[in-house]
Amino acid sequence: MSVYQVNKILYLTDNDAGFRKRIKDNPEDALKTFRLTKEELDALTSGAVGKLYQMGVHTFLLNHLYRYELFGVNRDNYLSRIREGLAYDPRFEQGKMPIQYFVKG
Amino acid sequence: MAKLVLAAGVPHPPRLVRDIAESPGKTKGEALMKQVRQYVEQAEPDVIIEVDSDHFVNFFYNNLPSFCVGMADEAEGPQETWCPMPRYVVRGHVPLAKALFKYGVHANFDLAAAHELRLDHSLVVPLHFLNPSMELPVVPIYTNGFAAPLPPATRCLSLGRMVRRFIEAWEGKERVALIASGCFAMDVGGPLRGWTDTEWMETISGLLIRGQYQALARRATEERIAAAGNNSGELLNWITVAGAVGKTRPLFLEGDEGSGYAVWKFD
Repeated sequence: MSVYQVNKILYLTDNDAGFRKRIKDNPEDALKTFRLTKEELDALTSGAVGKLYQMGVHTFLLNHLYRYELFGVNRDNYLSRIREGLAYDPRFEQGKMPIQYFVKG
Repeated sequence: MAKLVLAAGVPHPPRLVRDIAESPGKTKGEALMKQVRQYVEQAEPDVIIEVDSDHFVNFFYNNLPSFCVGMADEAEGPQETWCPMPRYVVRGHVPLAKALFKYGVHANFDLAAAHELRLDHSLVVPLHFLNPSMELPVVPIYTNGFAAPLPPATRCLSLGRMVRRFIEAWEGKERVALIASGCFAMDVGGPLRGWTDTEWMETISGLLIRGQYQALARRATEERIAAAGNNSGELLNWITVAGAVGKTRPLFLEGDEGSGYAVWKFD
């Protein structure tokens, strides 16, 4: 499992403007230099946030998927996606804090 | 000999800057930040030492220290393009940072040192409110609050005690303000987003108010911190500051959602 590489892709998305442009404009090209397993590549490119979470991708880095609207993830579907595959938890109902506003970079 | 004149703890929600701009006078966070700022101004510090946890902006898994002293001449932030707030240049205090690094290493703390820094919102939001002109130089001490395994809270308490001894041994005459940046218990993008672990909040607040910092450090295990949400490791920054305040109890401590605001005075 090379979950480090997934973390790195998301880290670069937030911290490297050139990489951010590449992954938005031509994700296939941007991703080809990373050593991802097929499972990781499929989960990332289908925006399967819950699967990435369960693989161990850091939640702070997963947030960049909705901040930069990558692979179909956005503010409206992020929370339901990260909870996919998890058992229902009553604490899911207790959150009052909205998903954070962001400025597109 | 330098002097610790004030310690404080505040959170760093990036949305607070925007919320205040849109609805001035409406948020509890604005009032609490103003209150803390008044104490900071009254204490007339010459330098701020800020204890903070980087959110994968300055550090990443390729090289991620448990503790690091920032010793850049100056640094810019917040670097995150999504962060709705002004970008600042923050001055460092290189002689003090270098001396702190050396003192810490000689005191058996395996500190890292960073001569270049990319500041994230967690370092800059408190300064936006407490050092808005950015006139005071800032020495960051980073703790790894997010990428498990975290440094033990008891070790952070010892780190804070070392920082206090350093301040009092440092040859300069500076008046030092020590500021913790971070929340108590929060989830910011994990599955429990928005839920607040009120039981843990109350435990933390109660122990801080009573000055029971060692008990807090013993109870703040990695498991307990993780159970309170993915952002809850920022408590380590508060515990580091608590190590520096000795037996002094906070002058005030006020909670707001999963966060706290507090001030300790020493004059």
